[in-house]
Parts: sequence; C-alpha cells; structure tokens
Amino acid sequence: MAETTIGSAAIPDTPARHVALMAGNFMPRFLTGLAILLGWEILVRAIAPAYVAKPTTVVLAIPRVITDPAFLQALGATLAAVAEGLAITIVAGTAIGLLMGRSNAVDRMIRVYINGFNALPMIIVLPLFSLWFGYSGAARIATIIFAAIFAITMNVADGARAVPREYLEVSRSFRSGRLRMLTDIVLPASMPYLLAGFRLAAGRALIGAVVAEFFLSIGGLGYYILYNSRSYHHNEAFVGVLLLAAFGVGFEVLVQWMTRRFLPWYRRDEKAG
Amino acid sequence: MQTYIRRHAPVWLSVLTGLALWEIAGRSTSAAFMVPFSETLVRLWQLITRGEFIAQFLDSAQLFLTGFVLALIVGAPLGLLLARVRVLRIGIEPYLMILYATPMVALIPFILSLMGFGFAPKVLVVFLFSVFPVLYNTVEGARSIKPELIEVAKSYRSSEWSLWREVMLPYTLPYMMTGVRQAIGRALVGMIAAEFFLSATGLGQLIMGASQDFDTAGVFASILVIGLIGIGLTRLGLKIEQHFARWRQ
Repeated sequence: MAETTIGSAAIPDTPARHVALMAGNFMPRFLTGLAILLGWEILVRAIAPAYVAKPTTVVLAIPRVITDPAFLQALGATLAAVAEGLAITIVAGTAIGLLMGRSNAVDRMIRVYINGFNALPMIIVLPLFSLWFGYSGAARIATIIFAAIFAITMNVADGARAVPREYLEVSRSFRSGRLRMLTDIVLPASMPYLLAGFRLAAGRALIGAVVAEFFLSIGGLGYYILYNSRSYHHNEAFVGVLLLAAFGVGFEVLVQWMTRRFLPWYRRDEKAG
Repeated sequence: MQTYIRRHAPVWLSVLTGLALWEIAGRSTSAAFMVPFSETLVRLWQLITRGEFIAQFLDSAQLFLTGFVLALIVGAPLGLLLARVRVLRIGIEPYLMILYATPMVALIPFILSLMGFGFAPKVLVVFLFSVFPVLYNTVEGARSIKPELIEVAKSYRSSEWSLWREVMLPYTLPYMMTGVRQAIGRALVGMIAAEFFLSATGLGQLIMGASQDFDTAGVFASILVIGLIGIGLTRLGLKIEQHFARWRQ
C-alpha cells in the first residue's frame, strides 16, 4: 500500500496500480455497505412492525421467492414485455432519429412533437392507454414504447447530425446512394449516441412496465410487488425490488461495456447528453 | 422580425398541421377513442371555469414544490460534502449509482402500506424520485476534479474557503445543475405517480376521474395541460443547466 501515492502523475498506469487503487476503494465501500445494512436492520427492528422488510428476512426470502413459479412467471412476463417494447423502440426510434438528423424538412416537421412528448411525464398516458387498449398486455407494451422511444430518437438525431462532413463527402464522391449512406455511414457513426439513448430508454422502459402493471393490474414483476406488499409479504415483495434494481444497474453496465468493447474509437469526454 | 419569422415559421406550421390532424382524427373516430382538439379546448374551459381545475392544479403544485425543495435541501449539501470528503465519496458512490438506476416507482407499494394515504407519503415519493439525480451528478462532478488541482491549491496554502470558490464549486456546480434538470423531470413523474397510486388528488385525480367516467375529452384536456406544464418545467431546467454550463471547462 505504502508505495502507491494516489494522484501523482509520475506513477505509470499499470495493472498493478489499478489493483492497488481497487484495494484502496474496497474497504470504504465494504464498510459503507455494512453500515447501511446494519442501520436498516436496527431501525426496522426498533420501530417498525414485524412484516416490514429488513436485510436478514429479505435474504431468507430470496431462495423461497426465486423458486416460486408465480414469481418466475411474473418475471418472465415483465421481461418479455420490456424486451418486445425495447426492440420495437430501437428499430422505430432509430429510423425516425436518422431521418430527423439527415433531413431538415423532417426535423422541422416533428422535432417540436418529439421534444414535447419527451417532456411529458410518461405515466399520464396510462389512463388514455387503458381506454384505448383495455386493461391488457397491449397497453403495457404501448406504455413501454411511449416511455422509451423519444430518448432514442433524440439521441440518434443528434448523432446523425454530428457525423463528420468529410465522411459524407467521400461517400458522395464514390457515388453511393442516399440509403446506403444512411445505413453504412450515418448509422455506424451515430452508434455512441444510440447507445447513450438506449441507456436512458432501457431505464424508462423498466419504469414504464412497472407503472403499467400497477395501474392496469396485469401480471408481472410490478404487480407481484404490489400484490405481496398489500398482503403484508414485504420481504417477498422486496426481492422483486432488488431484481428491478439489478436490471437497472445491469443496463448501465451493459452499455458501458458495449461502448468500450465495440466503440473503442469513441472517447468518453465528447459524449452525448 | 424577418429572422424571427424565418426561424419560427416552420415550428408554428408544424404545430398547426398537428392540431389540424388531431381535429380530423378526432372527428373521424368514435368519441370514446379520441376527441377533436376543439372539443378538448371546450372541455378544458369548462374545467377551468368550474374552478375544479385551479384547485387541483394548486394541490399538485404544493406537492411538487414540497418534495422537490426537500430533495434540493438534502441533495445539494450532501452532494457537496461527498465531493469534498474523498473517503465518504468512494464509500457511498456505488450505492448512489444503484439507487440512481433503481426504478423508484417500485417502492410506492411499500410507502403506501407503511405510511398510508396522507400528504407526507406523497412528498416522500416526489423526494425519492428527485434526490438521487442531484446527488449522483454532483458526485460525478466531484470525480471530474483532477486531484492535481487540489494538491496545487493545498501546496499554495489556500484556505478552505478559496479552495471551494476556486476549485470545488466551479467543477461540481455545473454537474449538480444537470442533476437539478433531471430532478425536475423526475419529480413531475413522481408527483403524478403519487397521485395515481397513493391517494388520488390534484391533476392525477383529474385525469383518473375523467378516465373512469369515460370522459375522453376530460382525459385529453388534462394530458394537454400536464404536457404544457412538463414542457415549461423542462425548459426552465435547461435554462438553469445552460446558465451554469458556462463554468464547465
């Protein structure tokens, strides 16, 4: 430990130094985590009724919950809906974003709506979607798409506009068509923006799914949490929350990893919104 | 004037086209599905003149402001403290990231069953939605400060106050304001979520009530108003962020 003086530029950036830094970070993190769990446990034991979730009872509930077929079914339903919604969102959102970024006419026509819908707190469409689609899975998919699509569209549009002019000029002098230019040059060059948009969109899709299940009372992870907390099974419900948190963090990690793995040419300091 | 027209004409044209399409779509479908723009306006006017709307709006505004201001009062000083005390920041950082990425809506059922239907649980929802963006972004800003800068400041024996003024604040405030912008949007979602899922009050109740009565015009009128409020607040957030972005290196 003694030979790593953190922060001086003279020390080369070696793997050994990274390990040392990680070790230096580990103890405060571990202790903070321990303090949070301990504080939670003591607080709940001291003042809350017995059914309230606390670390020890939540941990005991985990094996019971993840082997429960009802829970697995709920999890599958939510994940399938999120995956389907995100797939539609990525395809449609990217297409609209590319058009907006490369055509001023399209941009002027719809930007005001994209910005406007993006500023709308997404859950207010639930009463409307329940009128339109009924209390069904279709309303959940629609909510997920509505929650996620504008983040992708806005980011891809920004990315498509930021494509270096030289790329386009070269492709034009090789007489490539407009469509090929979009798919082979603008789309790959906008990838970092697409990923940044996806990061936002995935989080919002998750929220959209949970909120839709609360509102529409259709089966899924959100409804599982609602149902169990209503019937005083807080520990079981909290396992659902932990899983949602894991998905939220998982999306963040996935995007960071993909950016490093597939877009090494993209430097983070010029990142998108 | 000329440049104003040239710059804004496409926007107005696009808005007018959209409204015309809305009108046509509304007239050619069943009233249970969609109502035209004109009918939405008439319904909105009714809601306003009956006083229902103003009362609900004030109710929502009170909830939004209480939760959001609390989030700032807690989030900003705590964020700055984390920015200054390195050990605290490193310890709390990963948990902050987890809480920032967790969909807070999932906690609403617990809040409901522990705290019931009053005003306090709703404030808590708005608070939870909006406090983590402020904290998370402030810490992100603190991470962007090069350790060398603080070392230089210290070796020149700068006081705590000038260290804050010259190094800490210029680096962290712009990030914090990004957090404030995100928090405004999230607080609005939290406000509606609290009004939907805890006790129905405010604008959330206005829209839910309309939907339960199959009053499609009422639903559209409420969405229109909440949408305009959302756009206004988003603009405000962007203004605040841009104002401080000038400090950013």
